[in-house]
Amino acid sequence: MIVGERKPMDEILAMLEPHRRVLVLACGGCVTVCLTGGEKQADELAALLRLAARKKRRPLTVDVDCITRQCDREFTANLKCNPADYDAVLSIACGVGVGFMSELYPATPFLPGLNTTFYGASTAKGIWQEYCYGCGDCLLAWTGGVCPIARCSKSLVNGACGGTNDGKCEVSREMDCAWHLIYKRLEAAGRLEELRKVRPPRDWRLDRGGGARRLTHEELTDEEVRK
Amino acid sequence: MLEVRLTSKDILDRPAAAADLMDRQWAPCRYNCPVHADVRAYLEHIAQGQWRQAVDVIRRNLPLAAVCGRVCHHPCEANCRRSDVDSAVAIRELKRFVSELQGAAGATVYRPTSQDKAAVAIVGGGPAGLAAALELAKRGYRPTVFERFARAGGIPATAIPEYRLPRNVVAVDVEWILAHGVELVTGLMVGKDKTIEGLRKDGFQAVLIATGLSSGRSLPLSGAPCEGVLGALEFLTDLGMGKRPRLGQDVLVIGGGNVAVDAARSSVRLGASRVRMMCLETREEMPAFEWEQREAEEEGIAFIHRRGPVEVATANGRISGIRARRVTRVFDDNKRFDPRYDDGDIIDVPCDTILIAIGQAPDYGFLQGSALRVDSRGRLEYDPATCQTSAPSVFACGEIVTPPGSVVEACASGQRAAQAMDLYLSGKPIELDDSLPPFIGAIPSETAGKVRKAVRQPVAAQPPQIRRSNLDEVDHNYTESAALREARRCMSCGAGAEVLIDKCAACLTCLRVCPFDIPVVTDVARIDSDRCQSCGICIAECPANAIVSRSRERGWIVRRTAAAMKDLDPAALRIVVYLCGHIASAAQWRGGDPLAQGAAEVYLPSLSALSTLDMLQAFDNGADAVLVVTPQEAAERYPHAVNRLRKRVAQARRLLKDIGLKKSRIQLFELTRPGRSAIEETLASAVADLRGGTVKPIGAAP
Repeated sequence: MIVGERKPMDEILAMLEPHRRVLVLACGGCVTVCLTGGEKQADELAALLRLAARKKRRPLTVDVDCITRQCDREFTANLKCNPADYDAVLSIACGVGVGFMSELYPATPFLPGLNTTFYGASTAKGIWQEYCYGCGDCLLAWTGGVCPIARCSKSLVNGACGGTNDGKCEVSREMDCAWHLIYKRLEAAGRLEELRKVRPPRDWRLDRGGGARRLTHEELTDEEVRK
Repeated sequence: MLEVRLTSKDILDRPAAAADLMDRQWAPCRYNCPVHADVRAYLEHIAQGQWRQAVDVIRRNLPLAAVCGRVCHHPCEANCRRSDVDSAVAIRELKRFVSELQGAAGATVYRPTSQDKAAVAIVGGGPAGLAAALELAKRGYRPTVFERFARAGGIPATAIPEYRLPRNVVAVDVEWILAHGVELVTGLMVGKDKTIEGLRKDGFQAVLIATGLSSGRSLPLSGAPCEGVLGALEFLTDLGMGKRPRLGQDVLVIGGGNVAVDAARSSVRLGASRVRMMCLETREEMPAFEWEQREAEEEGIAFIHRRGPVEVATANGRISGIRARRVTRVFDDNKRFDPRYDDGDIIDVPCDTILIAIGQAPDYGFLQGSALRVDSRGRLEYDPATCQTSAPSVFACGEIVTPPGSVVEACASGQRAAQAMDLYLSGKPIELDDSLPPFIGAIPSETAGKVRKAVRQPVAAQPPQIRRSNLDEVDHNYTESAALREARRCMSCGAGAEVLIDKCAACLTCLRVCPFDIPVVTDVARIDSDRCQSCGICIAECPANAIVSRSRERGWIVRRTAAAMKDLDPAALRIVVYLCGHIASAAQWRGGDPLAQGAAEVYLPSLSALSTLDMLQAFDNGADAVLVVTPQEAAERYPHAVNRLRKRVAQARRLLKDIGLKKSRIQLFELTRPGRSAIEETLASAVADLRGGTVKPIGAAP
């Protein structure tokens, strides 16, 4: 799932500075699951924004709404508040939601309340960890399920660098060295020969190198949209 | 699909929307109560020292609250789910405590502004008649109760011994009922002093027969009646009306029910040197309550089981004893009363007085001069579906038409008849809806094992050697501190969490925070109401606002906060205090007195439900500082709740800091010792610090 973190309040307050009527729009998808963009967080953020405005003695109206996902057009039918009635919408969806909603409501500025950070999993109560980078060319089959693109600080695909240190990365002692993990995982599975195989160079065009990516299911797509 | 949607903006503006959830499933205490009193709600009020609110909740369903506090057979307790954790909550004792503490004046009277509907006559001022009269008065009718004795209350006011039910306790209920515009005419016997037809001629548009079972059943014994053979009910009534019936020294009570026990225990108190009870049943089969039997034994009363009387033996014109045969069985295979005897096994039981307590019978005297029909067995013709007799405007309720029961059952019968009369007098068909919502099931043992144990508060009783000698009360009422402790044992069954499945994101937060391991997440979260302990932790933590309480309106904490803040000085520093209502200790508790000058106090049954959002919304609604007062973890009713609260307070403080407000605007106090004075001291210094200038009103002019 997509993980996002709330932007620093200073940045949010600065974004909203010119606006007097604001809608905080939550998303019932991934960001609810990682406890940053759900309806409860929208309620909390709205209360904080009103409080900040009271502190500065400036008028501000903040409402809250939430839809199931901000990355699908159909769910906007469930909006209780009309974005057009606001000076700005502070969306606490991931960047996908903010961008998509901006397209649907071009007359209203949709401002990001979160920084979208990674694709991750919850490894313990209240902790989410990056597991995938969305590189477009998955190589987990021969890395023992540990992604070197997402989890190696340098996204190396040919083994650990000189910065590996007792299983930790030189970038941070808190961070595992992905290649150390890969080696240990394959060793435990008796599959170290995977690392002796010569791999062809990766096709980085599948990552950001080829520009914005798109998925088309022809069997579901209307002709005119495909063009 | 259920949709309860309430965002912070409209919590204060919009009427609450969760009401339909509340009656989804009842707790078994409420379900099994014949009048379906909201036990959980009144125990919660008692637990927080809100005596008046508690008694108002009781009296909403149960007009004879004080009487039932003494003599109810308490099916609520018999079905209390706490029995599976340690022992049932002492619901009846708590009812007694609060209804006697408040008296008649301490309970709200709900008299409608106009009572201009039909005049109705109620024949019989016992529990059924009084309950019906009250219900009719509340519906705008003008009821008059005709009672043959000099005081209203029926058996509780006349025949239940004072050591179990003092008359002033009955008077509390009667006074409160009459305050609703119920007229009472005493000393008038319908059928003798006035006929039912006469009542109708007097302008009563409907009549309700509620005369109960007012005569004792007699026993066809050869040798009886003679001097020294008395009906137990008549004996108890004489005693109750202030007479001192003459007894011998060696009393034998025939019967195994509660009236028999009452008669035996009263005989002891009147000075009989030996009192025994003889009944057909074994100890286990006896219909008398177990505690009545136990207390009787403590007072020196002996039991002769499985013996049926044959004849009274006399000598010199006086009773010398009774001959009794052995009982081989009391009930048939279908548990119907069908005693069999062994006539070859006969004993002589010496005694000089016999009290017969083998059941009660209706007195059909009210039929005199009326055209009401009786059936082939001589019983009043009656349709249980409509509560009507053979005359459409004459209704009946209580034990005259129902099986013998307790006071609360009579009340339920009276209320039902009142509903029927209301429909009849409004010209509508009499269709009574007796359906009930389902009740939640038993608490599974793995959940019961996680509930914190709490010992049932004992009730102090007079020692048997003292209570034998007088008609004073046997049991003492709870003290305030015992009542608070006992009420706090209620587990709020059925008041727990409900998932709004259209909002649930299956994020697993509820599963991860529940101290009882109850939520299960399959497609969405599922919370089993049989297991949920109603702590509210998952509700406070759910990021999707997808969990609501079955017992509280969404936004209840915000509303309570706003209400508490109403009286705050708008110019001064506005401080909101959230307190666990269960920590103020008893003796010093004076619910409602302000603790800290100028702070708005919000009492919650536990702070387990207080969310980060609730604290922020307090600020949002005008607070300048929030103080949170909780007991320490070991004293909190829910495991891990204090730890969760600490984390929420820390989160709220970080969020305040993010917008440039001092963290000290939110403070958590974990009290190391219980009691009101501990709270007062803690708050006094915290409030003084805040007012001393550590923080300023938010948004004040610089």
